[in-house]
Amino acid sequence: MPIKTWELDPNFKNEIMSEAGGERLASCFQCSTCTLGCPITEFVPGYNPRKIIQMSLLGMREEVLSNPDLWVCLICQTCTARCPQDVRIADVLGALRRIAEREEEAGNLKIDSPRPLFDKAFQHQLKKFGRLYDMGLAMEYYPKKEGSFIKGMLAMMKDYKDFGMRMFLKGKMGPLGGGSPVKGMLASKIKQKDVMKKIFEELGEEGKEK
Amino acid sequence: MSVDKLAYYPGCPSEATAIEQHMSTEAVFEKLGVELVEVEDWNCCGAAEVEDPRVVYALNARNLAIAEKEDLDIVTPCSICYYNLERSNRALKADEALRTKLKGIDSSLDYNGTIKTKHVLDVFVNDIGLDEISSKLEKKVNVKVAPYYGCYIGRPPETAFDDPDNPVLMDKLIELIGGEIVPNFNYMKTVCCGGPLMMTRGDIAFDMARKILDVAKNAGADCISLACPLCGMMLDGKQADIEKALDVTIGMPVVYITQLLGLALGIEPNKLGLNKNAVDTKEILGKVV
Amino acid sequence: MGIAIIGGGVAGITAALDLADSGYKVHLIEKNAELGGKMGELAECQMGLSPYIAKVENHPNIDLMLSSELERLSGTAGDFKLSVSGNEIGVESVVLAPGYDIPEVAKSYGFGSPDVVVSLDFEGILKAATVSETGELVRPSDGKRVKRLGFIKCVGSRCQENEICSTACCAYTAKEAWEVKERYPDVEIYIFYMDIRVFGKDEELVAELKDKYGVKYIRSRVPEVIPEGGALTVKFENLEKGTIEKLELDMVVLAVGLLPSKTMGKLAEITGVKTDTYGYIETSLTSPLETSVPGILACGTATAPMKVRESVAQASGAALKAAGLSQRTEPIPGQEEHKFIEVGDELKTGVFICGCEGEVANTVDIPAVAERINELKDVAYVNSETSTLKEAMDAIESGIVDQRLNRIVFAGQSPRECEDMVRDACAGAGLNPYLLEMVNLREQCAWVQDPKDATEAAVDMLKMAAERAKYLEEIPVERYPVIPKALVIGGGISGMNAALGIADAGYEVHLVEKGAELGGGLKKTTELQGPGGEQAADVLKELVDKVTANERINVHTKVKEEEIVGRAGSFKAKIVAEGSAEDAEIEFGACVIATGARRDFVPEGYFGYGKEKNVTTVSEFGKMLAGKLDANTIALIQDVPGEGVTARYSSIEVVDSALKAKEKNPDANVFVLYQDIKTYGKWEVLYKDAREKGVIFLRYDKEKPPKYEDGIVSVYDVIFNDEIQIKPDLVVLSTPTMPAEENERLSKMFMIPLKKGFFMEKPERPKMVLTPVDTVNEGVFICGSAVYPAMIDECLAMSSAAASRACVLLAKDFLETPAMTSVVDEEICAGCGVCEAICPVEAIELTEEPVPVVTFGVTTVVGGTKKVAKTGDGCIGCGSCASYCPSGAMSLRNFRDRQVYAQLDFAV
Ligand SMILES: Cc1cc2nc3c(=O)[nH]c(=O)nc-3n(C[C@H](O)[C@H](O)[C@H](O)COP(=O)(O)OP(=O)(O)OC[C@H]3O[C@@H](n4cnc5c(N)ncnc54)[C@H](O)[C@@H]3O)c2cc1C
Ligand code: SF4
Ligand code: SF4
Ligand code: SF4
Ligand code: SF4
Repeated sequence: MPIKTWELDPNFKNEIMSEAGGERLASCFQCSTCTLGCPITEFVPGYNPRKIIQMSLLGMREEVLSNPDLWVCLICQTCTARCPQDVRIADVLGALRRIAEREEEAGNLKIDSPRPLFDKAFQHQLKKFGRLYDMGLAMEYYPKKEGSFIKGMLAMMKDYKDFGMRMFLKGKMGPLGGGSPVKGMLASKIKQKDVMKKIFEELGEEGKEK
Repeated sequence: MSVDKLAYYPGCPSEATAIEQHMSTEAVFEKLGVELVEVEDWNCCGAAEVEDPRVVYALNARNLAIAEKEDLDIVTPCSICYYNLERSNRALKADEALRTKLKGIDSSLDYNGTIKTKHVLDVFVNDIGLDEISSKLEKKVNVKVAPYYGCYIGRPPETAFDDPDNPVLMDKLIELIGGEIVPNFNYMKTVCCGGPLMMTRGDIAFDMARKILDVAKNAGADCISLACPLCGMMLDGKQADIEKALDVTIGMPVVYITQLLGLALGIEPNKLGLNKNAVDTKEILGKVV
Repeated sequence: MGIAIIGGGVAGITAALDLADSGYKVHLIEKNAELGGKMGELAECQMGLSPYIAKVENHPNIDLMLSSELERLSGTAGDFKLSVSGNEIGVESVVLAPGYDIPEVAKSYGFGSPDVVVSLDFEGILKAATVSETGELVRPSDGKRVKRLGFIKCVGSRCQENEICSTACCAYTAKEAWEVKERYPDVEIYIFYMDIRVFGKDEELVAELKDKYGVKYIRSRVPEVIPEGGALTVKFENLEKGTIEKLELDMVVLAVGLLPSKTMGKLAEITGVKTDTYGYIETSLTSPLETSVPGILACGTATAPMKVRESVAQASGAALKAAGLSQRTEPIPGQEEHKFIEVGDELKTGVFICGCEGEVANTVDIPAVAERINELKDVAYVNSETSTLKEAMDAIESGIVDQRLNRIVFAGQSPRECEDMVRDACAGAGLNPYLLEMVNLREQCAWVQDPKDATEAAVDMLKMAAERAKYLEEIPVERYPVIPKALVIGGGISGMNAALGIADAGYEVHLVEKGAELGGGLKKTTELQGPGGEQAADVLKELVDKVTANERINVHTKVKEEEIVGRAGSFKAKIVAEGSAEDAEIEFGACVIATGARRDFVPEGYFGYGKEKNVTTVSEFGKMLAGKLDANTIALIQDVPGEGVTARYSSIEVVDSALKAKEKNPDANVFVLYQDIKTYGKWEVLYKDAREKGVIFLRYDKEKPPKYEDGIVSVYDVIFNDEIQIKPDLVVLSTPTMPAEENERLSKMFMIPLKKGFFMEKPERPKMVLTPVDTVNEGVFICGSAVYPAMIDECLAMSSAAASRACVLLAKDFLETPAMTSVVDEEICAGCGVCEAICPVEAIELTEEPVPVVTFGVTTVVGGTKKVAKTGDGCIGCGSCASYCPSGAMSLRNFRDRQVYAQLDFAV
């Protein structure tokens, strides 16, 4: 099916370029440097940041935002470091992900990846405690990913059984590990937790919606 | 030597999965005579999961402001923390409006942009210097090392402090302490370990980490050395899971560069957390003379 | 006083020679210990440049300052004081030609593997391979034969560190690939590129590489080369399949770009000239040779990345401008009237064997050779004391004067480098210059012979030469006066600029234009490209005013020139006015052809042009841009087929129009459909601007051109690998450029070959590259779009160059009739056919000749045949073949030499 440009959204590129990180999108000259250096391409056939950029420039808004490939980027910055036109692809993909998340929240789109759930759980933990709390994060993320608390716990057990025990034995997680007897088991909280809350409320997506 | 005191930002993994990196960093700096003052009540840098740059700048502004009060430059052993600290520092220094806005959100975010942010590798080689370190070495660490740098040391360009494709700072330290850099590993030095996908696409993350382990093994390395806790979690913490999932045996010890350096400085292995690495490190200890 | 030239690369050398040859004092300042610059490192080029270097080294008007650097400069135009490595010199003008350096490359290219090399080093490897024992092309790491070779283009160009396109690398990569394929046909070659930015004959070379040589051009900017398991792995996008593929190669060449010379910063500081954003000397579209400091000119790769041809054109142009600010103070070499000694019947042969600074002396035992030659009956004198050309020439002169020698044999470096100079030396000392026999002891003996055989070989070569010398006869040297006037054909920007250049140098000019007024093609242009936004009309008006006001320029409009007779220095022509029965006769010493190009191709029928009202051409669109633009969706289609060639400005014009449309109407959807975006050099930023302003670029393949049907443009984007459709309000076509109608007639009249109707040359070879505005017909020069349709900065540089070359000739009072033609030494001829391809008048033919194997008494056993070149009667003695023949089998001889050769061959 030929692509009919008049049915696309020519404003999409401007939308991306006004999102933090997306500013340099239009400089791209489709050279393939990003794609050819990207480590993901070896594992996800068809993964192609160059193509995502041209689709964005053409205005293929729907196809781009619902593309599951947006969510496998490692943010490893190889593409950004090498891009001859300073497109900052890793950041552009980040901008696209944020637009997609907003669209999902608005009910316009279904994202085919658990990654937004994970990122949100992470941010939520961060907002709550000020530091990363592995256990809390897992407890929040797995049920959301699997759709129910029980399934989530089962999946978590499967993933964490060996790893958790290993960490426990090495004293990195568990009641007696680390520098303190309860390291890793309980959240390590910062004192000024209220600041975290303010930051997310003022600047995060919640802030934008306000 | 141009430094004697630094603010220290350990980063979240220092409390759990990368406790050995935290321990060895503190021990090494002590031995080198540089005082580390932990950033009081530090908060998470946002890691890779907070994608909105403005939130990242705010989170890091707080940590920077705390160190600034002490009038100390910040050092961190974690590459992602470094990336977030450094890019925030740059953005904040360059953008007064941003600083004012953050100050308005909370007074603890009032940062004036007067300090520097550094990664430990940078401090070792470029601030303390190889000569100074060399003068304090007590032992020879006679190991063949695959130095793995990961993503944020040479990338992205504005925060990088080493070559993007073939970084050398860790190589220099390893050679200094009597180690040997294995050939044919250079092209893997900065290929991502897969860590960022661990929780959402574990399959890909495993494949990626395995590739690094394989190349190091084929190159004849005794161990891999690291400068980032996320890489540590993938290559060391998850190594047994990878072996199981992909039905392979690897058995590649993975240590932090601070641990190797600590050994050469004559620090006792347990003080460097060498008993906490997931893959056994005994063989390496045997090569310290 | 004189002129100081900074930089002894090809640009500096050219400027120095143009000036010195017309009687100006030149100080040539080069920081290295040798002349030649980067061109001296290029495999193929070195050979072409060496005669020029030899000439500079021995030129009486050139003060050569090697290993020297400019330290201070004070004063103003007409009176500069320079301090050069401790020496103080005073000059009236300065030419800057410090050239370029190459960028550092990312470590990802090979991670330190020695088998990944930059192109400049690859030139050296190719050169070394040819002379190595096996002659094979091998990998630096392990000496294994290279079977699969990759080239990665745009390394260090068109990127953040160096925003612009390096212009030369697309073409030199094609040239290197061609050289490899010619010598090692079984090597597989892969070239990774983004756009193929070549024009004219290079375009043909690329087509030939793809079709005939099977070289694979793959579109991917390859970012890394991974050394794995003894091979180099590169990844590229297979756009057609939508996959990423891996390829294993033995060796990878990085086609690195050009950067301003590392010395540029310091030089700018000392001289005060402004540099641009990229670090090049700042010049402009309308004054490409002038720097920001009056009296200081610039040329070559110091002003922008470019090829040798363009560098040389700029250098000649800059020389002319520099001359305009200086006084001529020196005699012009070779102008003295010679009285030759009576030769008589007595044979007195003098043999001069030069050690060539060790190049010969280290391999050949010269004293032993001298002793053996001394024993020959007819040899009256042998000199083996000299070690430089200069010393040898002095020795020859005193030999002729003191010993009254009447035949000279000179053995030393290649005749191609020094023959003219040695002949002049003979003439200067009073011996007819044709009584000279040359022996190429350096290239054909010392460099190729095993040291143990070299001395014996040298003796044989010299014996033969002494024998041939006996048969040499005097040829009367005729002198005729030079008519100090020029004819310039074509009143466009190039013609006018050439006319002004020549007139400013003090010569009368006839400027003929067939149209009713001056101005040419530029009259049809509105705003010029680039940020300056200059109006073409303003630029033209300034030139026209200057030309009309100049007393030395006679403008003839509505006329054409006919019946041209004569030769360099003394031509005659009729000029016939349109509709008038009378014709005038004019005389002139030099002629510049500047007939320009036509943009008259009507793309009737293409994309509905002519039928659909909304289909237009770029030139028409340019006019629309001056008014109100109400189209919302615009599709510009580049490379529309048709009659003519793709102008060097065609992409620039399209991208510029697209950008202007977007600036005019930011909400418009502007698409550019292209095959290759050829915004070479600094024009690359225009392309970037256009993208950043939102112009969308879609690449199509020649085999699958876009269509315009039912109001819809459909294009198969080969990068996107899908068909994309656009509903445009306006379709803009960029069409080919056609040659001037006059060219056909001029070509016949002047015996200058045409290609596709333009005066562009045949395959690019050093000799031609180094004389971009000269033609095979001495005294006739070409420039501007008549050669190949070009941007106006190039037209201006080239026309100044043509004027400069014309002035070099006009500066002479007398010229001598040449009596030269080429001869082939069949024994050395390898039958490669290079001469056949290069000869502008097709005077050379390759023939099969029997090869003798053994000779028993009078019977010769023939052992098969070999190809050899044969020069026919058409030869005009231009010397192209001699300067390019890789085996040195071609040389220029006077007519009688040829007979001598024939006699000798017969005798042997
Ligand atoms: C790998 C490669 C292959 C190429 N192949 C081709 C080809 O096949 N065909 C082609 O047309 N072009 C080719 N080119 C381009 C060609 O090399 C240039 O166009 C040409 O050499 C430019 O000549 P130049 O005199 O301007 O500069 P240069 O050759 O760089 O000469 C400048 C000279 O100035 C001297 N100098 C610099 N600074 C100072 C100073 N301050 N004081 C005194 N002296 C100074 C330098 O030492 C040098 O000798 C190639 C380029 C590369 C990199
Ligand atoms: S590397 Fe940059 S310019 Fe090249 S395709 Fe990717 S984004 Fe575009
Ligand atoms: S940042 Fe993402 S897209 Fe870029 S190279 Fe890394 S994984 Fe690929
Ligand atoms: S496009 Fe330009 S920079 Fe790239 S290889 Fe061709 S000439 Fe060089
Ligand atoms: S010298 Fe004669 S034969 Fe050789 S190229 Fe010129 S015209 Fe042809």
